[in-house]
Amino acid sequence: MNQLNNALTLFFSLMVEAMPFLLLGVLFSSALLLFVDERRLIQLVPKNPLLAAFVGSLIGFLFPVCECGNVPVARRLLVQGAPGAMAIGFLLAAPTVNPIVFWATWTAFRDQPELVFLRVGCSLLIATIIGWVFSRQADLRPLMQPAIARSMPVYLDKPTQGKGKSQGKSQDTPTLLQSGTFLLGQKDQPFRLDGNPAATAALTMNPALGKPFPDRLRLMVDNVILELRELGGILILGSAVAAIVQIAVPREVVLGLGQGQVSSIVAMMVLACVVSICSTVDSFFALSFASTFTTGSLLAFLVFGPMIDLKNIALLWSVFKTRAIVYLFLLAGQMTFFVALLVNLYIS
Amino acid sequence: MTTNPTPIASRPWLQPLLDVLAILAWGVLLLKYWLTGKMNVLLHPGYIWLAYSAGFFLVGLGLYKLGQFLWRMRRSNRVRITGAATHFSLFSPVWSSGLLLVVALFGLQFTPQPFASDVALNRGVTDTLTMTRSQPQSFRGNKRPEDRSIVEWVRLLNVYPEPDAYKGQNVNVDGFAIHLPTLPDNYFMIARFVITCCAADVYPVGIPVKLKGNRSAHPADNWFRVQGKMITETIDNRRQLVIEASQIQEIPKPKNPYDY
Repeated sequence: MNQLNNALTLFFSLMVEAMPFLLLGVLFSSALLLFVDERRLIQLVPKNPLLAAFVGSLIGFLFPVCECGNVPVARRLLVQGAPGAMAIGFLLAAPTVNPIVFWATWTAFRDQPELVFLRVGCSLLIATIIGWVFSRQADLRPLMQPAIARSMPVYLDKPTQGKGKSQGKSQDTPTLLQSGTFLLGQKDQPFRLDGNPAATAALTMNPALGKPFPDRLRLMVDNVILELRELGGILILGSAVAAIVQIAVPREVVLGLGQGQVSSIVAMMVLACVVSICSTVDSFFALSFASTFTTGSLLAFLVFGPMIDLKNIALLWSVFKTRAIVYLFLLAGQMTFFVALLVNLYIS
Repeated sequence: MTTNPTPIASRPWLQPLLDVLAILAWGVLLLKYWLTGKMNVLLHPGYIWLAYSAGFFLVGLGLYKLGQFLWRMRRSNRVRITGAATHFSLFSPVWSSGLLLVVALFGLQFTPQPFASDVALNRGVTDTLTMTRSQPQSFRGNKRPEDRSIVEWVRLLNVYPEPDAYKGQNVNVDGFAIHLPTLPDNYFMIARFVITCCAADVYPVGIPVKLKGNRSAHPADNWFRVQGKMITETIDNRRQLVIEASQIQEIPKPKNPYDY
């Protein structure tokens, strides 16, 4: 009975601490979703793939969206002609590299500030490298779901190198003889939208931007409630797991797993993947393991979870084919493990 | 081919109503914990304002949506579910809102309790702060020994761990008793929990107290004021600081059980 009471106290403590941050996160992401046009950002992206990936990774500071909000934004970026490096960088880093998550992590780990900065730094590094790796695939469309691939822009009069270019076939045909939907005014050249124009419009348009301000405000409130409902449900599950593990699992077991340089990292990465807790509040979840698990493993949880987890994989499937998700998973997993191990061996 | 209507399709008012109730319930729960002082058991005082601000916001949001819901019900007798951006969801929306509502209602019935010696034993009570734990935030070594709390003694030991340095100093500390199985029967541990952020990270710190008699006179989890002098003893093959008690007085459990 006493154990149940302790577990419930712990559970409500995590919920009460995380709820304000979750609320802040959904307020920001809803506001940006409905009041910001990403197309302006795309025009500012550097040409260099490495720089584009880095800039994409930093855009989270302007778009503080968690794992639920970043996939639709990344999808819109890709369809609106953003370089793949930038979109992938944003996709992987935005849930971590943003002011709300930084504040939440600082709140939880203010006694270990190195962990806060390592989290942001490692997420930036890994997202930039993966974005850069993906930029080597000049045409990302084979890795995309067909609906997205058909809607991605095909830049004409471009050499076969470079971002967002078409496959050779359409290069050989004069523009005037090609059929399809063309948009003008993008980078001083027409780009063609292959596929269903209506579907394309649905993908590229931020549906709220054309509406009057009061309507957008109403939509924003609706979106806040929708995200609160979805993420709150997952937060309840995550907090319950943390409370049960801390109270019910014998200390020797947790310590045995948590004190191993390698086993602790693997355990926390698996946990991050399974629990799928929102990046705005995952630091509080990690905090409940702070006294028993190595610093590197906490870092692995905080870096890997927001990039790839069960909830996120389902979302990623709306954009990428399985092959691309496996690449993302393996690259992010390997690099996270490597930096976490370095932290365990040389820093903590 | 016909399909059965989903619960939402046949009862369009259910989802918005559940959403409103769940949001209101969480807002009320946060405010209740704050107004009844139970937030002290759950959070570090530095973050309590965040929790009650969220409570006020959620109550406001819930009341706004409730007004909107009632107005729509009266106006058209049906509720239009507005289409915000779609997300992937682990649960169906009804289940998500239902879960949030049920947990909040349970929370309203539940009274959080400060942790006691069973948690301290499970988490490992020590007179040291490990690497994963709180670094000294503010540290004043020039305090009179009898004015130091348990946490201040432990921080002092972390900065300068030589027990002989404190031998003979006066002690006057408040804390709860823990009967460590590794200690002989004429010792108990006087301890406090330290909180950094929320109850998930509280950890116990304590100093052994040497008694003239058996520790059964000082039951575990009861709160005591221990006065005496510092001595050094070898316990568990480790030379450590021990309080030789001259007076032990039972005190009521403080309103705020954690130290910082």
